[in-house]
Amino acid sequence: MSFSDLLLQQTINGLSLGAMYALLALGFTLVYGILELINFAHFNVFMVGSFIGMWTLQLMGINGQSIVMTGLPLIGTMLIALIVTMVLSGALGVLIERVSLRPLRDVKGPAAMITTIGVSYVLFNIILLTVGADSKNYPNPLPPVQWDIGDAVLRLREVLIWVIAVLLMLGLHFFVQRSKMGKAMRATAQDPEAARMMGVEVDRVIVIAFFLGSALAGAGGLIFGLYYNFTSFIIGFTAGLRAFTAAVLGGIGNVPGAMLGGVIIGLIEAMGGQFIATAWTDVIIFSILVLVLVFRPAGLLGRVAPNKS
Amino acid sequence: MRMITKLFARIPMARRQHLLTLLAGVAAIAFPLLHDNDADIDSAANAAAYATLALGLNIVVGFAGLLDLGYAAFFAIGAYAYGILTSFQVMPHWSGFWEPFAWLELVRRIPQPGGDLVHFTVSFWIMLPVSALIAAAFGVLFGAPTLRLRGDYLAIVTLGFGEIVPIVVRNVDSVTNGAAGLNGIQAPRLFGHSFGVAALPYYYVAIGLVALLVFVSIRLRDSRIGRAWMAIREDEIAAAAMGVDRTRTKLLAFAIGAGFAGATGTFYVAKLQTATPEMFGFPVSVMILVMVVLGGMGSVWGVVLGAVSLQLLQSWFLEDISGWIHDLGTLIGQPWMLKIDLTESIELIFGLILVFMMLYRRDGLIPATRKQSALSFEEQHAEVRRGGFPALTGLGNFTHSDHTGLEVRDITVRFGGLVALNKVNLAVPAGDVVAVIGPNGSGKSTLFNVITGLTAADGGTIRFDTQSLLGLPPHQILRRGVARTFQNIRLFTNLSVLDNVLIGQHARLKTGPIAAVFRPPSTRREEAAARVWATEILSLFGNRLLPRATQTVSHLSYANRRRVEIARALASRPKILLLDEPTAGMNPAETLELAEQIKSLHSLGLTILLIEHKLDVVTRLADKVVVLDHGEKIAEGTPDEVRRNDAVLQAYLGRGTLAEGMVDA
Amino acid sequence: MKSRLITRRHTISLASGVAATALFGAHTARSADKSVTVGINLSLTGADAESAKRIEDGAIMAFDEANATGGINGYKIVVTPYDDGSATAGQYDPAQAATNARKMVSNKATVAAIGPQMSGAGKAMAPILSEGNLAIITPSSTNPDITDPKFAAQYRPEGKAIYFRTVATDAFQGPYMANYYADVLHVKTVYILDDSGAYGVGLADAFQGQAEKKGIKILGRDRLDPKAADYTAVLTKIKSLNPDAIYYGGVLQAGVKLAKQAYDIVPKMIKGGGDGVQGPEMLTAVGYPANEGWYATVASPHVTEDAKMADWVKTYKAKFNVDPDDYAVTAYDAATVILAALKQVTSNGKEPTRDAVRDAIQAVKVNTLQGPVSFDANGDLQDKTISVFQIKQDKSIPADDMRQYHYIGIAPSA
Repeated sequence: MSFSDLLLQQTINGLSLGAMYALLALGFTLVYGILELINFAHFNVFMVGSFIGMWTLQLMGINGQSIVMTGLPLIGTMLIALIVTMVLSGALGVLIERVSLRPLRDVKGPAAMITTIGVSYVLFNIILLTVGADSKNYPNPLPPVQWDIGDAVLRLREVLIWVIAVLLMLGLHFFVQRSKMGKAMRATAQDPEAARMMGVEVDRVIVIAFFLGSALAGAGGLIFGLYYNFTSFIIGFTAGLRAFTAAVLGGIGNVPGAMLGGVIIGLIEAMGGQFIATAWTDVIIFSILVLVLVFRPAGLLGRVAPNKS
Repeated sequence: MRMITKLFARIPMARRQHLLTLLAGVAAIAFPLLHDNDADIDSAANAAAYATLALGLNIVVGFAGLLDLGYAAFFAIGAYAYGILTSFQVMPHWSGFWEPFAWLELVRRIPQPGGDLVHFTVSFWIMLPVSALIAAAFGVLFGAPTLRLRGDYLAIVTLGFGEIVPIVVRNVDSVTNGAAGLNGIQAPRLFGHSFGVAALPYYYVAIGLVALLVFVSIRLRDSRIGRAWMAIREDEIAAAAMGVDRTRTKLLAFAIGAGFAGATGTFYVAKLQTATPEMFGFPVSVMILVMVVLGGMGSVWGVVLGAVSLQLLQSWFLEDISGWIHDLGTLIGQPWMLKIDLTESIELIFGLILVFMMLYRRDGLIPATRKQSALSFEEQHAEVRRGGFPALTGLGNFTHSDHTGLEVRDITVRFGGLVALNKVNLAVPAGDVVAVIGPNGSGKSTLFNVITGLTAADGGTIRFDTQSLLGLPPHQILRRGVARTFQNIRLFTNLSVLDNVLIGQHARLKTGPIAAVFRPPSTRREEAAARVWATEILSLFGNRLLPRATQTVSHLSYANRRRVEIARALASRPKILLLDEPTAGMNPAETLELAEQIKSLHSLGLTILLIEHKLDVVTRLADKVVVLDHGEKIAEGTPDEVRRNDAVLQAYLGRGTLAEGMVDA
Repeated sequence: MKSRLITRRHTISLASGVAATALFGAHTARSADKSVTVGINLSLTGADAESAKRIEDGAIMAFDEANATGGINGYKIVVTPYDDGSATAGQYDPAQAATNARKMVSNKATVAAIGPQMSGAGKAMAPILSEGNLAIITPSSTNPDITDPKFAAQYRPEGKAIYFRTVATDAFQGPYMANYYADVLHVKTVYILDDSGAYGVGLADAFQGQAEKKGIKILGRDRLDPKAADYTAVLTKIKSLNPDAIYYGGVLQAGVKLAKQAYDIVPKMIKGGGDGVQGPEMLTAVGYPANEGWYATVASPHVTEDAKMADWVKTYKAKFNVDPDDYAVTAYDAATVILAALKQVTSNGKEPTRDAVRDAIQAVKVNTLQGPVSFDANGDLQDKTISVFQIKQDKSIPADDMRQYHYIGIAPSA
């Protein structure tokens, strides 16, 4: 394999990883921008979303990778799985906010963040105790189509990830920038008191932010399963810490920052695995996290005004 | 049971604590002798080890308010330090260099056909304090660049470190044997006998460690250092303004907490004789946090209880309860019940504990703040006292030549595009009272902030006693003798009145962490003198503050809280006192009372710079009045002169009123 | 005022609860007359749980059979299971294994033990078991260091061998597979991966050493993180180097993900591993077509398909509802050894002590399902057979049936 083809292949790998991390980081950054709250539970909503997607596909009769669909049935199945996953994950996020975070809205200090750690643990362990610790084979109806670019390979599932991720991100961008609720969200992010006095229902804004963020996480979980053909109870932690770093790198609270950060972290993971060794990837990524927070806490795109797309 | 409670109630409060401690100690020592099950003693030893970890995290999170989500990293460092120095992992080639170490029994020579090797056999007892020091050093290393970060950012960074350490351990496998784990770690030896596999000696070492660290925690908590930590936790800015060196104090908390974890790490792997990177990941940091949250952040005995109960829950209760469920299942013929294993759900319980404690009982099982009894009627009834006070021993009789006064020249402060102060000049001669007045937003508080180092200046100079104050951190400015109060009252909310005033003395006391633990006579004298001084200052305000000395300031009235702030500033024995709207929120009688008290301070020689809105107070107190408007000085002079000044009237009342002649100038 | 009272009450009730349970716990210790306890330590949680279950069942089958006929000289065998797997590790956890070893040693009724399943656990347990002079027989732990006299000071500080095996070691499993790669599969270049665990690294090292001797060119060696989800970077690197084959030393937590992603990226490459990839999860979690063609080895003879084993297999299947695999057999053999040792010790009416049982195991010569079993001075099995399997989709049997691993033969010993 020539060097340029190798580079191309690793770039494809990196961008696919990056798309997943970006989706995760987006939801996380949305909530932070409005509430200035680090929501540790977010990454396990991602994991639960992946299982919801799996069960939805299994309910539709798809098991493992043996059944392959094409054309309209494929698109229909994918759409149904995506919508169901996003709606249920969003609902889970709203439930979390209502039950465990709203009562703590006015409490100063780390109480809310500590609560999200607790919720994260609860989700993680409920799944673990119900489905067990082993990896699950993910139902995947995608046909194994691929295109060769020299020696590099671009597979259908990679294109699928990019398409879904970009569509979701564009959708979010337009929503935040153009819609009335989006404007309300940006206002709340800047100054909740003032927003409330201008007639914005701050509670509702927060619920919608949680819904959107968790729905994106759920979509990310479904995509994860389709890409790797497996899921397990532990995927939240590893993907989560990388998405976390991506959000911080791009600038916590900044939506395009989350996308940029996700792509960068994905590429670093791919290139690091190629040229250094996969064993050191984690150290590199965590070091980035620490260095960004110490030397440039605003991240690459800065916290100009949180949620400004 | 009731008889016991009655007997208990007879014992005075102070003794109760001692009695309970004694009983706990006796129970701990007697436990293994009464209950001879090795596995249970082993669990109890583990519980004690987690208690020491919780104590360490309590110093970082509970006392100093620094949320550390990667505490297990220090646990790992202590563990691997001991592990590497006592196992067969690192075996360099023998040379003459190792002779003295062999003589000291720190290494052993292993004969090998290809060349003799060095086997490290450092003693457990030496490594206990050494690991603590190594971990503390790493605490300083991690903390130095990161402790200035805000709450959640600090949490994330510590989480990052908490992950980096196990990963590095996993990858540098020539030294640590990576994920396979370090095996064959040496057990402790005492008088030639190895501890081996029996749990009993480990148990007693663990109990000893807990007792030692509880002692150290309590000594630190009740000292100048503990107060400084709690001041930082409550309000960092106010702490700095009262003379607390934030960076050094935070690093101290971080390092001491790390040291506790390092020592525990050594103990834990000496008992297990194995160390793997998995033992020190994020779940362990969270578990220790759960113990601290459960027990009560900041409560020494609370976190011990939290740690012990969670650990015993995991090793005893859940197993036993699972066993009962199994038996019940067999009894009633429900086979699925035999599959239930509650020990697996311990992490679920951790998560639930975190959520419930945060939602319903943030103080923990044993709250750190003590309850106070209600005040008597006489204590609650306060009279307005006129005439100020004649003397305040301890403040001394300051003569005017003690310092040359405050000089602010051409000070400019910009916030982005907004100019808050524009080339302002102000001079406060020694021994004078100068008042700064002006409409809201004119920059008065910004002026105070730039003098006391909380805001940076973009131009100009500030000198106190001919020395420049520019660029100095707030705690250094306090040490020069410049004390202040805040417009919005920045007290240490969850601390008592007395503690608030004692923290005001932070810069004037000398007790460091080591003296705090050992409490030599000099420290005891210093603490006693500090309390006498604090009581004197509190008594200035009649019976308003003294009866409430041990009450939490959050329970005080607004006016009383203002008084506490002034008392706190006075406690630092300042040469110049900056008061930001001291009489705000007081009725006319109280205002007069306070004004006269300020006058007394003045006659004792204190220089005072005052921001006030109430013009009668200004007239009564001030030698000179400076008027600010939109960041510029528009007038200066005696109170009378300023009252008639056109520019001043315009600023306060608007241009129209002057023209219409509505004001009698 | 009120809340203080509540907390004190809470504390008192908590303390009494602790005291009560402690005493209660002490009393519920079953006092059966004439029984001995055998501990079984396996990785019952995590990625290798299904294999663990089969092993446990094999041992239990032997003990149940003995108890059904009245025990050994009147002594009933009580089995105490221990789990060294943890959810957070997702597989075996050496620290948990060490804790289990302490528990086994401190339980005075335990005279022998079976396990561990994984060598990573074994390395942690051995020193503790040595200090307690408790003999353990492993049906599947293959890392040679634990019984190697070179490391005796580390793994048996008290001197006597306590770690016995009814299975061969990686000192043979790795190299014999290298021989197979070279001689039978005619592999000229190989890329080696391990999963950073004690077993995986050791096996990969052993394979690498022999492969080099056989003239196979090693194009590279990399380490996988069992917790990570993504191995595409390293697999792409392998693809670019284009070796004939991959060899994976490690267990299933990483193995499952590796198999799936390798199928996507390097579908045509020869792929093989040790006994770590011989497990039910390879069939259920990986599934067809991704697991097709994978080679796996087992460090024992393959007897479950022999004619004379048909009855045993039928009994096993009827009792536990799953098919036995080769390590279920070695576990049954381990139990057989312990029963033989017990019989010998109690034959004169003497009480079975830990020391006596260990000595008896060391000297044992008994016929088991895999053939005659005896141990050398280090505790290793005298017989060294490595069996090779390959996964080939067989639609006539269920997809998760272990017979999807087709037995090919014995790996060449040179």
